[in-house]
Amino acid sequence: MPKHHRPAGKKKEGNAAKYITRTRAVNYLQVSLAIFRRLCILKGIFPREPKKKVEGNHKTYYHMKDIMFLFHDPLLQKFRDIKAHAKKVKKAKAQKNKDLEDRLLDRAPTYKLDRLISERYPTFIDALRDLDDCLTMVHLFAALPAAEGERIQVQRIHNCRRFWMSQAEVEGQKITWLTPHALQQVLTDDVDFNVMITFLEFYETLLGFVNFKLYHSINVKYPPILDPLLEAIAAELYAMCRYIAAQPRTSSVDSLPITSGEDGQPGLEKLDIQTEESELRLAQLQHQLPTNEPGALMHLVEDSKAEDEDTDVETKECKNLFKNFKFFLSREVPREALLFVIPAFGGAVSWEGDGSPFRESDDGITHQIVDRPTQGHIFLSREYVQPQWIFDCINARIILPTEEYLVGRIPPPHLSPFVDNEAEGYVPEYAETIKRLQAAAKKKVLPMPGLENQDLNDPQTLLVKGIVDRTEANETAEKKRKLMMLEKQYHDELNMELQGIAYSSLKNKNLDNTVDNAKEDTITPTEEPEDLSQLTMSRKKRKLYEAMKIGQERKKDKVKLLHERKKNAEASKKV
Amino acid sequence: MGKSQKSSKEVDELSKEISRDVTANGSTEGINEKDDRFQPSDLVDSLEDEGSPYDSGEDDQDASDYKSHSNAEESDSSEDEVQGSPYDSGEDDQDASDYKSLRSAEESDSSEDEVQGFSYDSGEDDQDASDYKSHRSAEESDSSEDEVPSRNTVGDVPLEWYKEEEHIGYDITGKKIKKRARKDRIESFLAGVDDAKNWRKIYDDYNDEEVELTKEEVKMIHRMLRGKTPHAGVDPYAPYVDWFEWEDKGHPLSNAPEPKRRFIPSKWEQKKVVRYIRAIRKGFLKFDKPKEEPHVYLLWGDDSTAAENKRHGLSYIPAPKPKLAGHEESYNPSVEFIPTQEEINSYQLMLEEDRPKFIPRRFESLRNVPAYENAIKETFDRCLDLYLCPRTRKKRINIDPESLKPKLPSLKDLRPYPSTCYLEYRGHTGPVKTISIDISGQWMASGSSDGTVRVWEIETSRCIKVWDVGEAVNHVTWNPLPELPILSISVGRDVLILDTRLANAENQARVKELLHVEESLLEEDEGNTTPVVRWVRDDKYDAIRLKHLKAVTTIDWHRKGDYFTTVVPSGHTRAILMHQLSKKHTHSPFQKLRGLPVTAVFHPTRSMFFISTKTHVWVYDLLKQKVVKKLETGLQEVSSISIHPGGDNVIVGSKEGKMCWFDMDLSSKPYKTLTSHHMKDITNVAFHRLYPLFASSSEDCTAYVFHGMVYSDLNQNPLIVPLKILRGHNSSKGRGVLDCKFHPRQPWLFTAGADSIIKLYCH
Repeated sequence: MPKHHRPAGKKKEGNAAKYITRTRAVNYLQVSLAIFRRLCILKGIFPREPKKKVEGNHKTYYHMKDIMFLFHDPLLQKFRDIKAHAKKVKKAKAQKNKDLEDRLLDRAPTYKLDRLISERYPTFIDALRDLDDCLTMVHLFAALPAAEGERIQVQRIHNCRRFWMSQAEVEGQKITWLTPHALQQVLTDDVDFNVMITFLEFYETLLGFVNFKLYHSINVKYPPILDPLLEAIAAELYAMCRYIAAQPRTSSVDSLPITSGEDGQPGLEKLDIQTEESELRLAQLQHQLPTNEPGALMHLVEDSKAEDEDTDVETKECKNLFKNFKFFLSREVPREALLFVIPAFGGAVSWEGDGSPFRESDDGITHQIVDRPTQGHIFLSREYVQPQWIFDCINARIILPTEEYLVGRIPPPHLSPFVDNEAEGYVPEYAETIKRLQAAAKKKVLPMPGLENQDLNDPQTLLVKGIVDRTEANETAEKKRKLMMLEKQYHDELNMELQGIAYSSLKNKNLDNTVDNAKEDTITPTEEPEDLSQLTMSRKKRKLYEAMKIGQERKKDKVKLLHERKKNAEASKKV
Repeated sequence: MGKSQKSSKEVDELSKEISRDVTANGSTEGINEKDDRFQPSDLVDSLEDEGSPYDSGEDDQDASDYKSHSNAEESDSSEDEVQGSPYDSGEDDQDASDYKSLRSAEESDSSEDEVQGFSYDSGEDDQDASDYKSHRSAEESDSSEDEVPSRNTVGDVPLEWYKEEEHIGYDITGKKIKKRARKDRIESFLAGVDDAKNWRKIYDDYNDEEVELTKEEVKMIHRMLRGKTPHAGVDPYAPYVDWFEWEDKGHPLSNAPEPKRRFIPSKWEQKKVVRYIRAIRKGFLKFDKPKEEPHVYLLWGDDSTAAENKRHGLSYIPAPKPKLAGHEESYNPSVEFIPTQEEINSYQLMLEEDRPKFIPRRFESLRNVPAYENAIKETFDRCLDLYLCPRTRKKRINIDPESLKPKLPSLKDLRPYPSTCYLEYRGHTGPVKTISIDISGQWMASGSSDGTVRVWEIETSRCIKVWDVGEAVNHVTWNPLPELPILSISVGRDVLILDTRLANAENQARVKELLHVEESLLEEDEGNTTPVVRWVRDDKYDAIRLKHLKAVTTIDWHRKGDYFTTVVPSGHTRAILMHQLSKKHTHSPFQKLRGLPVTAVFHPTRSMFFISTKTHVWVYDLLKQKVVKKLETGLQEVSSISIHPGGDNVIVGSKEGKMCWFDMDLSSKPYKTLTSHHMKDITNVAFHRLYPLFASSSEDCTAYVFHGMVYSDLNQNPLIVPLKILRGHNSSKGRGVLDCKFHPRQPWLFTAGADSIIKLYCH
């Protein structure tokens, strides 16, 4: 008798009833595996992990409710229809019945995904939360070659190109996406484009709706009608800005997000840009936008208001970063990314080529972005910097000195803004320099508003103050910690002296070691209680503790390796 | 062509008839003449050859020209027909006569001519014929490509068949025709720019050559494109000439009456119409295109209604966000993030899954950064993750690992406890298996497998007495009464009750009296059917020897010092024996024992008795003589047991290195199990009589000291704090510390090691 014998006539119970393997699910739905996949992708259904895998460990299990969810979806029938229709067309073609074939092709069944989107993302925020993958995918496909012989339709790619300047407005949501290298991507064979295209199909629709909502919120029509000339020369982003600027904004100025007005980049209030990770992923654009729902603004409660203002200050800081600067992009720099970034941070930008707003010989240009070994003709009135300068400035939120980024020089290391250096335990050298510069910039700028605005009732100034205080507090806290450390060290040494340990004997040893040794000598063993307290832990906690310790150890090793490498590099430099 | 040929055959027959009749007909000469005249209007002629339907009437000037000719010579339309047509017959006498004369002149020739005229097959070398032929060839050369034998002879086959080949086909002699070298686009474009006639050139893939269209041909194409006849001189609406009706034509071609079906509407057609009508009514057939709905619209209106905005179905687990790029993934990372060549090489030796997937590289400027080759693959992997990975909610705890440790009181507060080795007792030559401390705290007895029992003065570590019992000593215990320094020793199957002579004078007498065994008693015992134990006097040691049937492992004294118990594990029903020293009496109260007994202990205060089997501890009430409790240890093999002096807590050590603390008021399951401290078997566990201390010793050469506080408040659980690991013994033959005992009054611990040393640990 099998282990899980169920007498005849008795229903399945528990995990056996709740979960179903993929093969069974496909049979249950009476579709092919390919259609099942598509359904799963479109409906966002994923396998689940049952507590007890009744049918074996190496199978994929779906929840029965999920499968029923698919079962009742009209899309299932649509897919069946499409399959039947394809058969009919094939038959007509085989019979050389051109007439029928044309008629059939004319009436091909289609489906729409809008219902699925509202089902999967009942609120706008939900949609924004899932936008990361969507943007990455769409950007990737925009950069793909127009598929010779592949099954990727050219139309699709073209669509994607149009999506390129999809903007992300986010209500408190961070959206990060990758933009592929502007050069052609190589199509690989080990990728199933059917799957990708199904995802893309869904993402396109999603992005369409999200864009519509965003455009709608600033009273702009979607899809935009762009200047064909500008579009032709691939300056779509600029065309976009012009289009939005040209739209009459009449009635609902109040409902507009406060900060989105001036710069023609609607909705892009705060954005973090980081770019170019080595050979890989190029621009990573991170947009973060504060809440700017019109409704929400009306019903602001006091404390939430404070929060709102808080983000506003940050946004303002971002928007004014390149306020008085005028940039000119040379031919060889990645234009799309920079065109996207610079206006978002308040700068004016132009480029070499047709349709640019101003020419290279413009006197007002403060910075020219150049990525070539030498620059031929040089205007003295402007600075020639490498594109990394822009990205580093944005990441640091201050204007960095340009000396290191000048033409022909090897720029300083480009650091990722996503890493929490303190948590990681290793702070690269350049990060420290940036930190110092930031602190310097803040000290220079920040006392001013406090002096000007005397009335403390203004919440904004209060907040600014608050921020200053906070940063200062952070700094002082750090100082304090250092002082404490020194103090402790001093005390320890004193203790040792009291215990009569010769200072000279300890001199060559590490300080930590000496402390430990001293403690051990004075009867209280420091290490043993650590060992012993583990005895009374429950097994679960002990295992967890051990695992965490291993993790910490690994992290420590990594940091150690970094320090070692740095030391080696410095040593070799000296030699 | 087939049709025209067919008709020409028909006509042929007719004409033959007619020629036999010799009524009148178009002569070959006439035709020749006509051909001569028509030469300018070659296009029309060529069409006539083909027998196109437009031949009959013309509207253009050519046509009129032609008409005039035809009027003149009554020969019209296609030559084939004209030649053989019977209809011209009576019209032109002159011609006819002409013809006749000709016929009479050269009969044979004409017949040949006729044939030739109808089917252009046979190659006649007649003069006329050749003449005619030459005309035709002249006409054909510029008009229709059909007649020009094409270069290629492959016929009507799909040209893809030759796509891969180097030749396009075969010429008339069967030789391969090579493909011409293709010009590249720029070249052909440049050539086209230079050549004004380029627009007229067409590429013929069948013959692989470029054909330049003449102006006439271009015109023809234009006309065809506009839906007109190719030739301008064709009148599609010419008045109908009923060639089949003439005055005395005789009987009709077919005399059959017109069938009925010609007059009634088709049933099938009607059926089809009905079907279409129904389909239209029911909406299967639609003629208006479906309305274009807007592609995108405002899907999310107001998000304020929370009830509607809930996702239905199972709880949604959002996909985890992909990991953000760190410093080392930058295109220009700091130097320290770039691995050296050796490190990169060493990655090859690592396991596949441990190997870093991404090796940082440094580019000196942005323009040097190449495309990332894995971009598509990674996106694809992400897609797979999204729809193929089972998602589960996992709690990721972000806490300091130190916070997991239980909050224990500081060790300083728990002092005193044994921590350092203070004394060593050396003298045994074999592993010291057992030790026991006198209740007065002055003496320690030890038994070793070298066959000796020694008594030591604790404070000086001096060996006071040595007895050589001859066999490995299993267990040694002092009598718990301070005034009776009696030692019980288990040696093999015997238990020796020994007078140590350490008592003062008055007690010495009492001891002597106690240890006096009469032989008669022995005899009497022997008279019994099954003597469990024989009490024998041992003169050598001046002691009592209790002879058991099987090996004795442990001895435990009752607190009052009169009773003691011995455990004979292989004794079956007589495994646990109770002995009364004063009466020299033995009985086995536990007839039925569940499991193999390991040790048996008296309760320190009450009349209770603990028997531990390999997996359980049974608690008996000696007065009621029944089982009170069964403690489930959950251990594989219990090795030792110790009772808290309070009497409600028990610790049990096991051979798998685990120790259980039972709070008997709480439950019959362990209150706490300490699993991880000893690597090897626990040999003994012990409670201190006064201090809240307990210890365990193990074969892994360590002994642990714990603080074990039992509160009088029943609501408060006992506090267990590990205090100290005592190391110092050396392993010998895989055995470590064999026994541990606390000093009865001081917080001192004695450990007996397999390295034949006894150690005293003091605070």
